[in-house]
Amino acid sequence: MKRARLSLLCWLALSPLVLISLFPFMVMLVTALKPLSEIFTYPPRFLPQRPSFDAFGEMWNATRFALALRNSIEIAVESTLCTLVVAVPAAYALARMQFRLAGAYRQFLLVVQMLSPILLVLGLFRLMASIPWGDGTLVNTRIGIIIPYAGFQMTFAVWMLSSYFAAIPREIEEAAWMDGCTRLRAIRSIFLPLALPAISVTGIVAFVAAWNEFAVALTLLRDVDRQTVTLQVVNLVAGRYSVEWNQVMAATLAATVPVAAVFTWLQRYMVRGLTFGAIQ
Amino acid sequence: MRGRGGVAALPFPVIAMIGPSLVLAAFVVGYPLYEIVRLSLHEVSRFGMIRAFTGWGNFANVLADATFQASLWRTLIWTGFVVGGTMVISIPVAVVLNLDFAGRGLARTIVMLPWSVSLSMASIVWLWAFNADYGVVNTFLTAIGALPRGLAWMARPETAFPIEIAIGIVVSIPFTTTVLLGGLSSIPGDIYEAARIDGAGPWMQFRMLTLPLLKSFIGIAMILNMIHVFNSFPIIWIMTQGGPNDTTHILITYLYDLAFRLGRPGPAAAISLIMLVIVFSFTLLYLRMQGRERA
Repeated sequence: MKRARLSLLCWLALSPLVLISLFPFMVMLVTALKPLSEIFTYPPRFLPQRPSFDAFGEMWNATRFALALRNSIEIAVESTLCTLVVAVPAAYALARMQFRLAGAYRQFLLVVQMLSPILLVLGLFRLMASIPWGDGTLVNTRIGIIIPYAGFQMTFAVWMLSSYFAAIPREIEEAAWMDGCTRLRAIRSIFLPLALPAISVTGIVAFVAAWNEFAVALTLLRDVDRQTVTLQVVNLVAGRYSVEWNQVMAATLAATVPVAAVFTWLQRYMVRGLTFGAIQ
Repeated sequence: MRGRGGVAALPFPVIAMIGPSLVLAAFVVGYPLYEIVRLSLHEVSRFGMIRAFTGWGNFANVLADATFQASLWRTLIWTGFVVGGTMVISIPVAVVLNLDFAGRGLARTIVMLPWSVSLSMASIVWLWAFNADYGVVNTFLTAIGALPRGLAWMARPETAFPIEIAIGIVVSIPFTTTVLLGGLSSIPGDIYEAARIDGAGPWMQFRMLTLPLLKSFIGIAMILNMIHVFNSFPIIWIMTQGGPNDTTHILITYLYDLAFRLGRPGPAAAISLIMLVIVFSFTLLYLRMQGRERA
């Protein structure tokens, strides 16, 4: 009985925040299901009278959504792989090997992490514009955006991974060396399988960050055919005289739901990882 | 760390393992930083051609620029209100989410949910919600009779900026709550038991136990939020682009406007450096707090 009252009180206390948290999803869904004629009626109504999925199809064609989706997936996957290839060995060194400059290296990572890419965006643009690539420069290319993404995700990934790696008992590896295993082999057959969950979580965090990123993409991907989903959706709104909001909401929904699903699943790992990252 | 002699300063395998991360960081941070310093000290054409050396000229121009001054002031308000509001809401939310009540898992998931929506997508949804003619906020407020007719929320400075601050708070709550929840879960439950036996009520327990034990987590969440919010670009850029009439610019949006729309890379680079100095002092604060934690 006492617990029932407590539960009721807790939900009551959280209710405003719960409403505000769910509100964007409701707006997206409700608007995306309306035909255009119902968006621009006066007085407006909240719920669709004749719900339909037409807006999704119209949006798909109007924005070249399939192409944007492919760009987003390629950029996010490749920058994630790049991040992990650089971060996993560095994190292993930080967690397992003792070297005198380890403290300085940690602080270096922290300082780089604080320099968010948006502060350097002008310099990043000039960097990419100064490197010749194909017919032009690295501006408007996939590799030109993957490198900054990997660079800025890498610091967070090293932090997060090294705290996870430190929690894997060292004795298991040491026992393998005793049995005549080389260090590399011990890493491959003993350490990596144990570290795989941590690596996947870090990888997903990097993937989501690349998927959602806006400022660097806005600056470096100027050609519509190269743009990510995030940019394409913003383009539907920015600087338009008339905005077809049902298509826009269909697009935001399509860009958001996959990430929201992954995040919900990931959330319990996040609590742990962030606490580690923030404190250690 | 072991003393000298015990470990080599940087044995070869370590160099091979951390080397790539150093190279990558030097490439995406080092060179852009060098470019920004160079731009800030020269006169630069709108197409990025570097002309005469002007020394502190760009900095002097920027500091005398009324829009810069207003944006700097607005950045302080923005950062202060968003971080302050976030903390004031997140601390009680984290405490409640740490209680053992029916449906806690679901409640945590819902509170974390906005985190999964990118800032740009969230900004677009709120922009639509506050649409002057057909937005759901006006629909609701006129339906309940709170407003005679809909307001053009984003077209007026006195409503646009507060709305952006409110959205800034809403999107910062999930991260902050997560950090605080991590802190709360590290507090052992039996000290509350002891406090209860000593006759401490819930408010006493919160003030005398929870807050002091949570202090380091609150500090870290605050500083990380300060850095994030200070650099936060998408909300303002997507909702108002600094308008109407430059009344919602913060430093980062003004910098972007100068660099990529108004064609003035020199002053933009100067603002970048001014912001870097500010962020760097936040970072030092953070490092000092961490040092204190460890000691």
